[in-house]
Amino acid sequence: MAVTIYIPGALRQFTEGRNKVQLEGVHGTLSDALTALWALYPGVRDRVITEQGQVREHINIFIGDENVRYTGGLASRISAESEISIVPAVSGG
Amino acid sequence: MIGQVLGHCRIVAKIGEGGMGVVYRAYDEVLHREVAVKVVRKGAAAGTSSSSAGPNLLDEARASSSLAHPNICTIYEVGETDGEVYIVMELVEGKPLRDLCRDAGLQAGAVLRYGVQIASALARAHDRGVIHRDLKTANIVVAPDGLVKILDFGLAKRVGGGIFDVASHTLATIDEATGFSGTLPYLAPEILSGEQADYRSDLWALGVVLYEAVSGRLPFGGRTGFEVTSAILREIPAALGPPVPPGLWAVIQRCLTKEPTQRYQRAGEIQAALEAVQSASIVPAADPAVDRNALRTTVLHSVRHARVRKGDFVLLVGTTKGAFILRSNEKRSRWEVGGPYFHGHCVYAMAYDSRADRHRIWASTMNYWGALLRFSDDFGKSWTNPQKATIRFPPEAGVSLKNIWQITLGRPEEPDVMYCGVEPAALFESRDAGESWSLVRGLFDHPHRPRWLPGNGGLALHTVVLDTTNAQRMYIAISSGGVYRTDDGGQTWAAKNRGVRAMFVPNKYPEFGQCVHKIAMHPAHPERLFLQNHWGLYRSDDYGENWKDIANGVPSDFGFAMNVHPRNPECVYIVPVESDEFRCACDGKLRVYRTRNAGASWEPLMRGLPQKRAYETVLRDAMATDSFDPLGIYFGTRSGQLFGSRDEGRTWEKIMEGMPSVVCVRTAIVEDASGGTALSKAKDAPAPSSRSKSRSTQKRRTTRRTTKKS
Repeated sequence: MAVTIYIPGALRQFTEGRNKVQLEGVHGTLSDALTALWALYPGVRDRVITEQGQVREHINIFIGDENVRYTGGLASRISAESEISIVPAVSGG
Repeated sequence: MIGQVLGHCRIVAKIGEGGMGVVYRAYDEVLHREVAVKVVRKGAAAGTSSSSAGPNLLDEARASSSLAHPNICTIYEVGETDGEVYIVMELVEGKPLRDLCRDAGLQAGAVLRYGVQIASALARAHDRGVIHRDLKTANIVVAPDGLVKILDFGLAKRVGGGIFDVASHTLATIDEATGFSGTLPYLAPEILSGEQADYRSDLWALGVVLYEAVSGRLPFGGRTGFEVTSAILREIPAALGPPVPPGLWAVIQRCLTKEPTQRYQRAGEIQAALEAVQSASIVPAADPAVDRNALRTTVLHSVRHARVRKGDFVLLVGTTKGAFILRSNEKRSRWEVGGPYFHGHCVYAMAYDSRADRHRIWASTMNYWGALLRFSDDFGKSWTNPQKATIRFPPEAGVSLKNIWQITLGRPEEPDVMYCGVEPAALFESRDAGESWSLVRGLFDHPHRPRWLPGNGGLALHTVVLDTTNAQRMYIAISSGGVYRTDDGGQTWAAKNRGVRAMFVPNKYPEFGQCVHKIAMHPAHPERLFLQNHWGLYRSDDYGENWKDIANGVPSDFGFAMNVHPRNPECVYIVPVESDEFRCACDGKLRVYRTRNAGASWEPLMRGLPQKRAYETVLRDAMATDSFDPLGIYFGTRSGQLFGSRDEGRTWEKIMEGMPSVVCVRTAIVEDASGGTALSKAKDAPAPSSRSKSRSTQKRRTTRRTTKKS
């Protein structure tokens, strides 16, 4: 039973090339899972959230297929087998 | 021993005894301070000065004594008298971590605090090439105020029976030499497998220390040395559940990964990870200070690099999709292009810092993953990629960094001072050459700030101008906030916009709120400033107190870029655009305008520039001058063309086209290195006064730093 976090290509330089990170024993909220991710790979943190603790404007986080912007943000509940995806939004020129 | 004198230290009392020898409290009779003296047990000091093979204890101790760090017990002196080796070191008052965690372990908060300090110390030592090799809770002392000190750095290799030569020993020997309550439980599996210890073995030991500190028990136990060794090599430590935070357990697990390449690779990473756990949840980190060891360098193999050498002239070009480094010589006729660096990132600010023997190119990068300040010490071959952003608003500021618009080097007499202007509008200052940054509160807390409004490009502090004759005075410009000046080194700031129009508010001459696009100053005439406004060209002759309209004969007083001639304070260059609505070169003719009488009149400079259907825009930082005579001027356009003039603007040549939109151009002359790449020689370069200068460089003005001031 592990939470899986999928890492986008741009951030894999901070996860030793891993495209997914599995976290054992993590439960509670998305915030808890991400905190465990930062602990393992601190370089990911500042790329995904701002110094004020908000998910960056053009970054989307999904739990399964649900964008957490519509499910409670970082307080969204996760299950022991949640699959979390960090994805840059379609934006820019 | 009591009462004896070793070196100039009189032994006062015995403090303790360990595998290495006996430790005494002593008094340094020369420096008049209390110290600890460790008298190394005879036979333990293998490889002292009497040994000719390899590094000896004295060498090791000398290396360790170079480790100035608050969490490392300082070694003052190592000596030998009558065949006895002694080490004079800082007297550390406190309790060994082993004693503090002996029963049920410490609370996680304390372990995190201690762990951060230990990791920080290891990071410093590893950075200096010193490995501890015997990190354990018995070697870590916690002072009553919570300050951690690591003892015996770098001494273990030669002292204590050669514990790292265990591969050639039987397990019984290990047991005998170290005892499984001593060093063995902290040994990394690669050491037990006969491989050489490296800094990652220290990181394993830190994992053991953290596990023991938080649980009160060792992760790998056993009744005999054989059992302990077997556990280290094969077993997974028992999981640590609540109240140990999952984050801390995750850090420990990664430290205790059997394969060294799967562990953290640097102690700075562990420090950052522990700090992240300390923050408990996704809230701002308590300490914005950044460990240099957490810097990660990205080496770029797939990018073409310019081979920059002594005497080269360099153009730094930031675009909305990356940066370029263009190399030429003083003729500036042929260009070698390096880059693009930072694929897909906006690079709004670049700078070249040659102060204090540096050859450092700075760049700010911004994309959807955030804004970062990065540097290269090898002209672009590799760039730092800090794990933790070095410029960050403190939690109480309530805002987050969007972009870094300006990198300004401090005055020549302050070689470690730097400033960054950022969005949302704020000024950051560094006093350690960009290693750490702090928000200039005097400006951020200004009562006007809530009423500054974002312009089209956001609410940005985009310009920093230093008065080189008055270390307390500087100017900043904000769109849309106006010009502010400090006369007390940044503690207080006053709006300086009298006479500058604001076309977009009912009161056309407000105290502040103007959309200033650029200000520029001639360093030799700090009382005189020029200002390119969102509609309006101005000059001040009284340090910005009053501004006078100088749009005399320009086709439009709307524009962005503005540069003062480095030798002629009457001479200013601008590139007007048609209007606010149509921000393109007037009438489709790309022309630089120059005044040589401080704005009394302006003349177009167009020879070599496109004069037909050239709907170009030159943004506020996309123009720069060099320091040659005659002057060179360079600018990039929003359509990705780069133009240059080598004759003060009389004629122009296209240097490059097809780049992404140019947002920043800076110039630099690479001096001071002799032969090879500038980088490779820079580290060994003599003091500035002893450097020889070629005839050509003597012709140049003394502008060694990035020459565009505005």
